[in-house]
Amino acid sequence: MKLRRRSSIDDEDSAINVSPLIDVVFILLIFFIVSATFISLPGVDVSRPKVQNASSLQKNSVLFALSEKSEIFHSGEIVELSEVSPLIRLAIKDKDKPVVIQVDKWADATVLTKLVLEAKKVARSVSLATLKNR
Amino acid sequence: MRKNLINHQAEQTEINVSPLIDMVFILLIFFIVATSFVNEVGISSSYKDSNSKSDIPKPPLFFNLPGSGQVMTNGSSIGLEGVAPQVRNFSTNEAPSVIIQVSKGAKAGLATQVMDQALLAGAKAVKLSVDSK
Repeated sequence: MKLRRRSSIDDEDSAINVSPLIDVVFILLIFFIVSATFISLPGVDVSRPKVQNASSLQKNSVLFALSEKSEIFHSGEIVELSEVSPLIRLAIKDKDKPVVIQVDKWADATVLTKLVLEAKKVARSVSLATLKNR
Repeated sequence: MRKNLINHQAEQTEINVSPLIDMVFILLIFFIVATSFVNEVGISSSYKDSNSKSDIPKPPLFFNLPGSGQVMTNGSSIGLEGVAPQVRNFSTNEAPSVIIQVSKGAKAGLATQVMDQALLAGAKAVKLSVDSK
């Protein structure tokens, strides 16, 4: 009561009602908190192979990349083949995440095969990321 | 003034929300930036266990990928286009399992495309293996 009277005197009632703004911002905040999954990207650009029946893969997955020089990347670092299954086990914990391998089309297929076999020891499913067929 | 405030404490219940809004905005911006919507497309074969060879009921269809970049089956070179007909004609009653044997020097892109063609032609499962020769 007192406040309103003072503000109307001071600056001609220029205070905006911020409650709807706060409501909207809170809703946005909660949406982004819930949808945040914190995926660690492999951190290397690969030229993906082009295929015909690519389907959408699960979003919340453990990502690996196989570069053109057949190096395995995980969360921005080069890893050895032997480190792959401990890393996957650490990443999936008990959440049953699938593994997605971003494979460069000029990488060595034997390395890819070994990587897939290694990943399949611990992961439920292993997929290869490809280009969108469009 | 002070006395007046205390006297009218019941009416004077408005809190200053500006720092709250600041904090919420900072959190909001953090989560917007940190959220990475990774939307991958790709192929996945449905092999349960790649290491056990004993529980394959039917003889699988083999494709060999030598380092020269060809696609071979039964010793003859077929192109990438020949993979799907091979898979379709392999067995009349049941979809075959496919094993792709890669040799050193073969490209992963080709292996992926062969997997894709085999899955497109209705292969039950596709497995990669390393040719030890």
